[in-house]
Amino acid sequence: MPFWRLLARRDVLAGLLFVGVAALGLWLSRDYPIGTALRMGTGYVPRLLCWILLGLGAIILVQGLREAQAERPLSFADMSAWRPVIFVTASLVIFGLSIEQLGLVVSILLLIGVGAVAARELRPIETVVAALVLIVLSWGIFIIGLGLTIPVWPEW
Amino acid sequence: MELIHNLAVGFGVALTPANLFFALAGALIGTLIGVLPGIGPIATIAMLLPLTFHLEPTSGLIMLAGIFYGAQYGGSTTAILVNLPGETSSVVTCIDGHQMARQGRAGAALAVAALASFFAGCVSTMLIATFAPPLAKVGQSFGAPEYFSLMVLGLIAAVVLAHGSVIKAIAMIILGLLIGLIGTDGNTGGTRFTFGIVELTDGIDVATLAIGIFGIGEIITNLTRPQESRALVTQKITRLWPTREDFQRAWPATLRGTALGSVLGVLPGGGATLSSFAAYALEKRSSKHPTQFGHGAVEGVAGPESANNAGAQTSFIPMLTLGIPGNAVMALMIGALTIHGIQPGPQIMTERPGMFWGMIASMWLGNLMLVIINLPLIGMWVQLLKVPYRFLYLAILLFCGIGVYTVSNSSAAVLLAAFFGVLGYVFTRLECEPAPMILGFVLGPLMEENLRRAMRISSGDPMIFLERPISLGLLIAALALCALVALPAIRSKREEAFQEN
Repeated sequence: MPFWRLLARRDVLAGLLFVGVAALGLWLSRDYPIGTALRMGTGYVPRLLCWILLGLGAIILVQGLREAQAERPLSFADMSAWRPVIFVTASLVIFGLSIEQLGLVVSILLLIGVGAVAARELRPIETVVAALVLIVLSWGIFIIGLGLTIPVWPEW
Repeated sequence: MELIHNLAVGFGVALTPANLFFALAGALIGTLIGVLPGIGPIATIAMLLPLTFHLEPTSGLIMLAGIFYGAQYGGSTTAILVNLPGETSSVVTCIDGHQMARQGRAGAALAVAALASFFAGCVSTMLIATFAPPLAKVGQSFGAPEYFSLMVLGLIAAVVLAHGSVIKAIAMIILGLLIGLIGTDGNTGGTRFTFGIVELTDGIDVATLAIGIFGIGEIITNLTRPQESRALVTQKITRLWPTREDFQRAWPATLRGTALGSVLGVLPGGGATLSSFAAYALEKRSSKHPTQFGHGAVEGVAGPESANNAGAQTSFIPMLTLGIPGNAVMALMIGALTIHGIQPGPQIMTERPGMFWGMIASMWLGNLMLVIINLPLIGMWVQLLKVPYRFLYLAILLFCGIGVYTVSNSSAAVLLAAFFGVLGYVFTRLECEPAPMILGFVLGPLMEENLRRAMRISSGDPMIFLERPISLGLLIAALALCALVALPAIRSKREEAFQEN
């Protein structure tokens, strides 16, 4: 069996993820003072948890490798999955970065504009209508209704 | 007598115009997201969590609770009319509810679901009012070692009763505990896992994590799935009232469902979904005509619908009395309490009786409102179902963004939520349930604190957990649960319980 087929199993990937996080945690906490059980230092509990996670991740990884081929592997051929991942994430990142400088209205337009690309079926005119409705709605709820102090317009 | 006095206090709080408004708002939002597939109570409560910061804590909790039980009412509407579960807790209602609708008895099915839910809501509210005070008294006698062991038991039980791989779920709990440690250690003042980012020194807010994992993660997951076709039952709903035969068959099922749901709700990891699956299995097995199931048996609607509402409400008991969340929604409730600086635990009942009893009273009022407003509004909810997901997700995405931003008016939180969103999607693809992670995240700091205190009591001897009888008992129970799930017979039963259909 080719190596990548083995890797593309759910449990193998999950196990690797947990092992990776645990290893990262152990590396990050290498300088944290551990202390004693009586006077626990900053690193005591984190390192303990990382070792447990490392063990659990290894078990999941081994289980995944030993499993019979019955499980259907993850298909990376389906590239459509990347579209929502990229554009949903990008829209939020842009929204987060723009809201303080550009204000609510412009950042909603940016969020909807980028976010709408994530779903293929959305027509341009629908996107515009959705953006306008959502601007009015969030203005009403968050600014007028709840009185949140979010800048509405760009600050020059 | 004390109960009546307490309930009087509660209704005094719940009947103020503001709290009535928030109970109604919660119930309506809950019904709305219950009706709509693709957004569940966890994501909604996470999104609204930052907003409760601007409300009175009692009003905020009343609204969030309303969302949770309101979703149980709304979920059944979609299940019956569209054969699509609005919530996971109404998956089994599809089976017989939709068949009833196709036989022209949609009205009867909807009415049975609403009435069974209302009955369960009344009973479980009474159960909370009766059993919460003694349980809180037990909780007050607990010391640090007992609390630590109780949290271990709670986390293990939550994993055993949830579906999916147990070992992955335990790994998710540990991951949640680790994420909960990010920030400044309150005892030593040292920072942990902050990657040198200033915004992380205060730790990650529970709302940021939950909005990312559940709200944004769900959007990505839904968008990668092909759109389901929705077979709407279009004929007019003429007869709403069930027949005499329906009533005769539905009420014993409602009683059984309520009892089962109430018990399963209290258990960690229990709650609405487990209760409804178990109730359907019980009805099918105990019925005199099992062949009717799947062809519009009214018991198949009454049982699960009463059970999911009962389970949703009794899952408040451990959260309110011990400060231990049994499921992800309760973990968010604890988050809401801590936002207001209220330490969750048994002292809430004595220190804030108005909030405690007000919330319980509001649950009953909320159920009453739901059964009254729901049936006339069914036409409106059905109209909402015609809104395609491609519009819905834009609104959810925006509310997630604004919600996260308002947690601390910081852009960093939005970026963090986006990261957790991708992580949530990855977990879903790898079949790692994210709910245990939230439990671990919320309990992490509490567990560390209690572990430290216990160690100080025992001068660093870990045997203290085994020497104290209550603590020992709790740990043995946790171990027994682990052993139980390893038994092949139990394991196959456990998988079966979540695979109705």
